[in-house]
Amino acid sequence: MTRLFEVTQRDGAARLGKLSWRDEELTTPRSLESKEELHFLKELTIHKAEIDATVVAAQEKTSVEQIDADVVILAGATRFRDDPRGLTKALLGARKLANPDSALYVPALATPKNVSLLVYAGVDLVDSIMAEVKAREGYFFDADGERRFEEVSRRPCFCDACNGANVTELSFEHRVTLASDHNKKALKAELNKIAENIERGTLRELVEGRCRAAPTLTALLRLLDDEYNYFEQRSPIVRTATLLACSQESLNRPEIRRFGERVINRLQRRDGALLLLPCSARKPYSHSRSHRIILAHLDKLRQYLNEAIITSPIGVVPRSLEITYPASNYDIPVTGKWTCDERERVIGRLSQYLSTNAFESVVAHVSGPCRQICDAAAEPLGINVVHTVNDENILSSASLQRLHAVAQELIDACSPAWRDLRFDYMRDLADFQFGPHASEAIFPENPKIRGFFPTYYASDRGLRLATITGKYQTLALTIEGARRYLRACEGRYCVQIDDFEPKGTVFAIGVLNADPDIRPFDEVIVVNDRVIAVGRALMSGWEMQASKRGGAVALRHVEAR
Amino acid sequence: MKKQYEARRHLPRKSARDTSGRRAQSSERFAWAGWDLLNSNVVPSLTVILTTKGCSWARRDGCTMCGYTIDSNPDARGSDIQKQFHEVLAHYGKEFKIIKIFTSGSFLDQDEMPIDARDAILSELKGMPKVIVESRPEFVTPEICADITRTNEHIEVAIGLETSNDYIRNNYVNKGFSFRDFVSASEAAHANSFTVKAYLLLKPPFLTEREALEDALQSVRDAAPHADTLSLNLCNVQKGTLVETLWKKGLYRPPWLWSAVEVLRRTQETATVICDPIGGGRRRGPHNCGKCDREVVAEIKDFSLSQNSASFTASCTDQMLWEFVLEFEEFSYGAPLVP
Repeated sequence: MTRLFEVTQRDGAARLGKLSWRDEELTTPRSLESKEELHFLKELTIHKAEIDATVVAAQEKTSVEQIDADVVILAGATRFRDDPRGLTKALLGARKLANPDSALYVPALATPKNVSLLVYAGVDLVDSIMAEVKAREGYFFDADGERRFEEVSRRPCFCDACNGANVTELSFEHRVTLASDHNKKALKAELNKIAENIERGTLRELVEGRCRAAPTLTALLRLLDDEYNYFEQRSPIVRTATLLACSQESLNRPEIRRFGERVINRLQRRDGALLLLPCSARKPYSHSRSHRIILAHLDKLRQYLNEAIITSPIGVVPRSLEITYPASNYDIPVTGKWTCDERERVIGRLSQYLSTNAFESVVAHVSGPCRQICDAAAEPLGINVVHTVNDENILSSASLQRLHAVAQELIDACSPAWRDLRFDYMRDLADFQFGPHASEAIFPENPKIRGFFPTYYASDRGLRLATITGKYQTLALTIEGARRYLRACEGRYCVQIDDFEPKGTVFAIGVLNADPDIRPFDEVIVVNDRVIAVGRALMSGWEMQASKRGGAVALRHVEAR
Repeated sequence: MKKQYEARRHLPRKSARDTSGRRAQSSERFAWAGWDLLNSNVVPSLTVILTTKGCSWARRDGCTMCGYTIDSNPDARGSDIQKQFHEVLAHYGKEFKIIKIFTSGSFLDQDEMPIDARDAILSELKGMPKVIVESRPEFVTPEICADITRTNEHIEVAIGLETSNDYIRNNYVNKGFSFRDFVSASEAAHANSFTVKAYLLLKPPFLTEREALEDALQSVRDAAPHADTLSLNLCNVQKGTLVETLWKKGLYRPPWLWSAVEVLRRTQETATVICDPIGGGRRRGPHNCGKCDREVVAEIKDFSLSQNSASFTASCTDQMLWEFVLEFEEFSYGAPLVP
């Protein structure tokens, strides 16, 4: 069992942690710098002393049972310096092999340039060996890359190692000494930056930036992105930070794919009329100027329509999910041009959306490339899309009038039932978070909805069932809501705990069993024979089961069972 | 660029173990002339490689770094071997002070080198100041040595001791004999007034640069009392070996030339240590940074003949890196820090 390492915060596979080490507490991710530290760790691997460190041979096959050690070392990792494929296999293999609350140490590989990717993949400890090797090979390092001494024509840096030194005039030996100090500091600075980004939940953005001008690192990121399950299992369901989709790799972010898959697999089937709208820069969409104008124009007709927004990189966002991550906070470079890749993905998502639902008619109030996308998705399915925008702006009065007329016509033709749009948000969010049919279990036919957009709450005969929370805009169940959900979906999104009355936080050590589908920040139900509680997960369900340390669920309400 | 180009080239399959020089090549045979030390004098030498059925140990098990067995011929009979030898002599003549006969196995193994052929070759060389043959220690018995003295007296038997450390020899080199075996063989050889040469391997697999350096230094100290000459072989990456597999996976790097210089410099007082850096400067052979390799290789060869450490004058910026590697390579847990 691990005793000395504890993960304190997560951002996908990356973690912040604490390692109690020779009477001091190190925060991770961290670079081991002194020979003394390296030696200390090495001795441990030999003597299995205080910290139980285990050397994992970086072999292709790593399918033996889990290693339960405080520090797991990816032995010989240096050999993957220019081998992103091998590195991907080895990193993920070691991470899967190691207990989730083991620190993963990758020796002699980290540079300021690649360390963000290593941490992104789940590495906790690195060292400054490569930074020193590179100094002796004649390189200055910073996060953007490396430069040979000869290429340094101006003062490279203002860190205190470089302070005042005129690099160009120094002898090779002096430059090595300086660069070795500088490189170590650059690595340290980068690690601090990484830790900050993990805190903010923006490590992915940093990583995408770092690999931009480095083909091996870009290859590494792409190969890591192929490991969807590994990262999805570790990705939080919400973030407060804005998802910035600035590169081709952004399209492959696990939360984007997960969102798309949940829209298809979890939401209730819809019928009637579908209105497709373009996305907007301002989120949630309904707060944007364009959406406010269009929606005001439709006014009461909205209650008979289903709305969905076409957007890159997410694909299709049903109106009701506009308030949840990543649809609620993402940003992309807007040029009015779509890359083939973006087009194809959105077409794919839209055609899936159209074929899983049973819309009788589809109206598209979109212009330009978006228009072709709608047709490309609908045509193969034999669906005819009615366009209400010709060559004009989507806000032109002619197009808006056309939209109103078409919508009125459709509604008259198929006379769909009136819906409370506020309930749409709650129902879809329930299914999106808790799986198919969750909303049927939690809510009655027509619950009473109150509150202001988007923090609605629903009740049934005076009993509060669920609320959309303010900060993350997830659907939080009340105990009553949880009871109803449990009746239909026993075990799902549930954390079984030992026989005690939980207060505040449930720790991983007290968890007996947890639904492996639980992700960080999921709303979960905590149960044992005595009580039922609801709260927010702090780690993934599989991690709660495997971990012995750290908080598992932050509780909201506890009640006797 | 040059380094990359060289990386794509492999070492010649049949490499000289002692001295390279002019090379004559017919379909199956190799031989070349060079210079070697004889009683502190530099004299002309001839190296002859004979194709036999191959090393008995390699056929049974094999060493982790040795790829010479690739060139053996399972059907080679005594008469074939004699024929090869005569062809070489016909080409080069006998105007040498030293003749080295290498079979890529054990010359004293009667299964590999039939007695008729062995005796014929040795008696042909009667009068040569020194004839060097190679053998594993199990064939260097008092009986065989006594047997051979009858045909030729000036024999030097060269034994691949590799290291004096039994653990390293058996686990990392997979040599299959002990230091004790070597000492017995050496005693048997000396008892018949043969001279003995011991090959030491700088950097067997699974050792860091520092461990390798220290192992070589210790081996020189241990082997010196039992050998007249020590030959430091800088491990290179030969085809079809375990070392090659490790190298391809990035888990092995041939020794730095600086390490060889260090061993030679520090053992100068202890013993006569010679060294021919086969494949020096290549990716598969012992190398430094690429800039200084040629110069250092030349100095090592020079030292082998002069035994004077004044031969070593080269210096290069990569020495700082080599020193760092010596100090820190153990912390990579198995992979060389620098390719």
